[in-house]
Amino acid sequence: MSTINVYQQRPGNDAKAETPLHHADLASLVGKGRKNAGVTLREKKLLGHLTLRGDGKDPAFAGGVFKALSLELPVALTVVANGEMSLQWLGPDEWLLIVPAGEEFAAEQKLRDALDGLHIQIVNVSGGQTLLELSGPNVRDVLMKSTSYDVHPNNFPVGKAVGTVFAKSQLVIRRTGEETWELLIRRSFSDYWWLWLQDASAEYGLSIQV
Amino acid sequence: MSQVYRLSNGGRIDRSKVLNFTFNGQTYQGFAGDTLAAALLANGVDIVGRSFKYSRPRGIIAAGSEEPNAILQIGATEATQVPNVRATQQALYAGLVATSTNGWPNVNNDVMGILGRVGGKLMPPGFYYKTFMYPQSFWMTYEKYIRKAAGLGRAPLQNDPDSYDYMSHHCDVLVVGAGPAGLAAALAAGRSGARVILADEQEEFGGSLLDSRETLDGKPAADWVAAVVAELEALPEVTLLPRATVNGYHDHNFLTIHERLTDHLGDRAPIGQVRQRMHRVRAKRVVLATGAHERPLVYGNNDVPGNMLAGAVSTYVRRYGVAPGRKLVLSTNNDHAYRVALDWHDAGLKVVAVADARHNPRGSLVEEARAKGIRILTSSAVIESRGSKHVSAARVAAIDVSAHKISSPGEWLDCDLVATSGGYSPVVHLASHLGGKPIWREDILGFVPGDAPQKRVCVGGINGVFALGDTLADGFEGGVRAATEAGFKAVLGVIPKVLARQEEPTVALFQVPHDKNTARAPKQFVDQQNDVTAAAIELATREGFESVEHVKRYTALGFGTDQGKLGNINGLAIAARSMGITIPEMGTTMFRPNYTPVTFGAVAGRHCGHLFEPVRFTALHAWHVKNGAEFEDVGQWKRPWYFPRNGEDIHAAVARECKAVRDSVGLLDASTLGKIDIQGPDAREFLNRIYTNAWTKLDVGKARYGLMCKEDGMVFDDGVTACVGDNHFIMTTTTGGAARVLQWLEIYQQTEWPDLKVYFTSVTDHWATLTLSGPNSRKLLSEVTDIDLDKDAFPFMTWKEGLVGGVPARVFRISFTGELSYEVNIQANYAMGVLEKIVAAGKQYNLTPYGTETMHVLRAEKGFIIVGQDTDGSMTPDDLNMGWCVGRTKPFSWIGWRGMNREDCVRENRKQLVGLKPVDPNQWLPEGAQLVFDPKQAIPMDMVGHVTSSYASNSLGYSFAMGVVKGGLKRIGDRVYSPQADGSVIEAQICSSVFFDPKGEQQNI
Repeated sequence: MSTINVYQQRPGNDAKAETPLHHADLASLVGKGRKNAGVTLREKKLLGHLTLRGDGKDPAFAGGVFKALSLELPVALTVVANGEMSLQWLGPDEWLLIVPAGEEFAAEQKLRDALDGLHIQIVNVSGGQTLLELSGPNVRDVLMKSTSYDVHPNNFPVGKAVGTVFAKSQLVIRRTGEETWELLIRRSFSDYWWLWLQDASAEYGLSIQV
Repeated sequence: MSQVYRLSNGGRIDRSKVLNFTFNGQTYQGFAGDTLAAALLANGVDIVGRSFKYSRPRGIIAAGSEEPNAILQIGATEATQVPNVRATQQALYAGLVATSTNGWPNVNNDVMGILGRVGGKLMPPGFYYKTFMYPQSFWMTYEKYIRKAAGLGRAPLQNDPDSYDYMSHHCDVLVVGAGPAGLAAALAAGRSGARVILADEQEEFGGSLLDSRETLDGKPAADWVAAVVAELEALPEVTLLPRATVNGYHDHNFLTIHERLTDHLGDRAPIGQVRQRMHRVRAKRVVLATGAHERPLVYGNNDVPGNMLAGAVSTYVRRYGVAPGRKLVLSTNNDHAYRVALDWHDAGLKVVAVADARHNPRGSLVEEARAKGIRILTSSAVIESRGSKHVSAARVAAIDVSAHKISSPGEWLDCDLVATSGGYSPVVHLASHLGGKPIWREDILGFVPGDAPQKRVCVGGINGVFALGDTLADGFEGGVRAATEAGFKAVLGVIPKVLARQEEPTVALFQVPHDKNTARAPKQFVDQQNDVTAAAIELATREGFESVEHVKRYTALGFGTDQGKLGNINGLAIAARSMGITIPEMGTTMFRPNYTPVTFGAVAGRHCGHLFEPVRFTALHAWHVKNGAEFEDVGQWKRPWYFPRNGEDIHAAVARECKAVRDSVGLLDASTLGKIDIQGPDAREFLNRIYTNAWTKLDVGKARYGLMCKEDGMVFDDGVTACVGDNHFIMTTTTGGAARVLQWLEIYQQTEWPDLKVYFTSVTDHWATLTLSGPNSRKLLSEVTDIDLDKDAFPFMTWKEGLVGGVPARVFRISFTGELSYEVNIQANYAMGVLEKIVAAGKQYNLTPYGTETMHVLRAEKGFIIVGQDTDGSMTPDDLNMGWCVGRTKPFSWIGWRGMNREDCVRENRKQLVGLKPVDPNQWLPEGAQLVFDPKQAIPMDMVGHVTSSYASNSLGYSFAMGVVKGGLKRIGDRVYSPQADGSVIEAQICSSVFFDPKGEQQNI
């Protein structure tokens, strides 16, 4: 695959790393919130994020993805997971693969091997986005304050994922459990989301986990 | 004197909880469960305001949102002021502070009142239009005084300390109104398992059932309400919203609900709580159960305090234990209003008489009143009331309804309360927000909702279904229908049993006749909030305003926050009679959102203060803050503007930063530039078509500057794109253009050239970009990288991979300053560590961080354009003297080629980008300043261009600018002039736009 520049962008573990919410110093806020808080927030830090594009209707593409990841290509508006790895539909020809920290380079190589000869794109976007996990009985209320998308369980079962309007910008909402949701946010907007989520959860109580 | 009008028992109030409140500075007491209006009436407060136009004293008329007079200013502090609150809708809380919004110096002694009484005749409808229109320039002055006199309430002068927010809902069935029909509908829909929202504007659910004399299944109506509410609360998919007014019915069953979460608790919301919430609901089906408003009769001096709606009197007596008087006269044209006489009588108070406009009423309630010995005067009505600040007598006369005249002079009856009922108007406001024309029904003498495309059901009073048993049945049926249509299976329910009553028809009476004609009779008010009289409406029709919409606008009938709740039908009836047509021929005006006033706080929600707009930060922002940067907003980004040291101003800081870059090395955070990863076998061909220049021969390892045009041939973005693999490119865009360029690429790939195999992904946030610029940048970078930086190994316009500060990086040797420059791209999570290592190594080179201002100066010295500053969507590459960047021989007709070859784009004398050098080196041309060739010509001058960028430059030793001038490229050396607002003229010489290092040697060292 010499026509594509595949590049190990992550340094060794001794390099200083700052997640998009580094400035919020979430670790210092653990245990400071209300007891029995309605919303708990955790940043799932420094994971490997890869954007994958290709022809979802091509069996060779779906087969190659399965071969590399042991995951079926998810259908529209869903996310599938295998342990720490998840694969999410982002658009008709676009998926997001999230792998444990440090595994993105190997995952890209594996995918490229399995998809050799097909017209695809794989892009490492690990530095540009992060996952916030929200859990608790009032997460749905916070989401209802923030997005006009219908987050009722009838319309938003576990395993669903949508990119949508949120407050005055956009992000991706993923439902990973009965009371557990993830927000996929862009790095440059992370402070806005942090401020927004603190505000929207204030009446229910917000606790931080790391 | 405390609460002298409070009955000794009864009402849904908690007499053990006494609440102090103040009205117009005086302290009163009420009970928990009171509305402010109920508490005022309990204390005998007659006058709550002065009227809008005539400044007449006004009292409370109604008990709900239709109240036209008791519209007060609420708030104990400046920051918590809320205007336009109806006292009838405001729950009483301890410490509530309310004041009248009109009446100066106070409502009891109003200076304007005297003017109003004397001048009333001089103030016909259209008075303000007619009097204050000329001279037009004075309108602003007039307006200030009219507003003050009219008293429209005021906004707080301090920031509201409370928080307000939005919540979005999607439901199967939204039920509007929780009276008998709404409760029944919600129950029927809720039992089916549907997602149901029930919203009601009052403090508690129940509507008319809360003050009803009726029983359901033999028990008080309120018991049934409690049971239904309990059942609804237990249903998991049902959301109950009391204190929540459905204010707007918008397209596609989108409705807005204004919920007042804590307005009943105190002046401020309890800590941590939201005061008001705007619910934005998308409903599969809407059930409108908005009920009906009782219509007052229109008679002489019907606005004197002590004239009230009949139903409101019952509400105060039965729900609040307040009797707003001692001696009642009831004037009615229907059976239902008789309940007021019965309630009054049952409370041990004196019913002086009931005047019934009908000949021989024999309905159940009428007979019940007769049996209790209440005096009933048939074919009669109150034709006027008397009293200065409160009613002291009512004149009851025999009337001939069809001939619209009185048939006896009548008698004055001593009383202190006149209750009137002219029938019931279905509340069709929401039903007509989207334009469904209401339809007149003669049998109920009211408008009901007309056909509408919305998926809605109307039940109960809004449909003209008034009898309680029928209303409940209609509600159940509507709820079942809505749930079924939304895809749910309804379950059977039992409708509670109601005692059937015999009710006789209402007679059509709106304006009550008087022995004098309308113009000479005592004022007969139709719309008390806007001070519109029957005479005014007649005058409007006489003056030729025949359309109902014109009558409304000329007289102000039903304007503003009133929305015609009480006066609309009476006004239409008067206009129709005046023109000799029927009410359906007259038609009705339409209603608009909002049904009742909504605070700006609820409209803004949380999108205020620090959450007003998203702010974007780069991965290096904390470093900029620590190093004292001043920031500039670039779109949503915060970018360092300059880094002042030791109290420097911007000019000193920028001069120092520029010098550091030109002399040694500077550091810029360029992370905000848009970056797009492009992959695919046709990536190169795609670039050929999207950029103006050629990309076929760009080798792996090289980078090239590109210009992008829209189809019209005008430049819309630019940037450097590097070839990182034969099928793999990294494109950079302007900071502001990042999103739109990506969209542009996707649109063209998806719609025009789907055959080209190429994909795009934004990597703007993924890569942080550190730019090192200046003659020492190579030396500095070599200390932190393993990349061979040798001039020949790593030449200008190429890129390399390697470690920088121990972190994998892509380094581009490109320049926006004209100096030797390296753009170091690092995965953003690791950028701060790399920056710190570069800064540490940079000390010996006087590494100087610089911001956007210095960047602008340095690039302008080189004549590099900024798209959006030096271009404005009307400039071709040739206009910018960038013809070198146009691939004139490319085989495929790329975007913009056809456009830039249009006749107008290739003509002589277009505005072209040139350098401008003020003749006096200390003068500075303002950006945007217009240019002329002849400053002595007469105004309007022939403008030939304008300044696009302008700076004072230290390294050049003079100020300089870029600008566009007609035919400028052929005028190098000529003079242009810029006349200034102060009359001075700046003279400048047209020159090349490259001021610094024209041969480009500095960037190639």
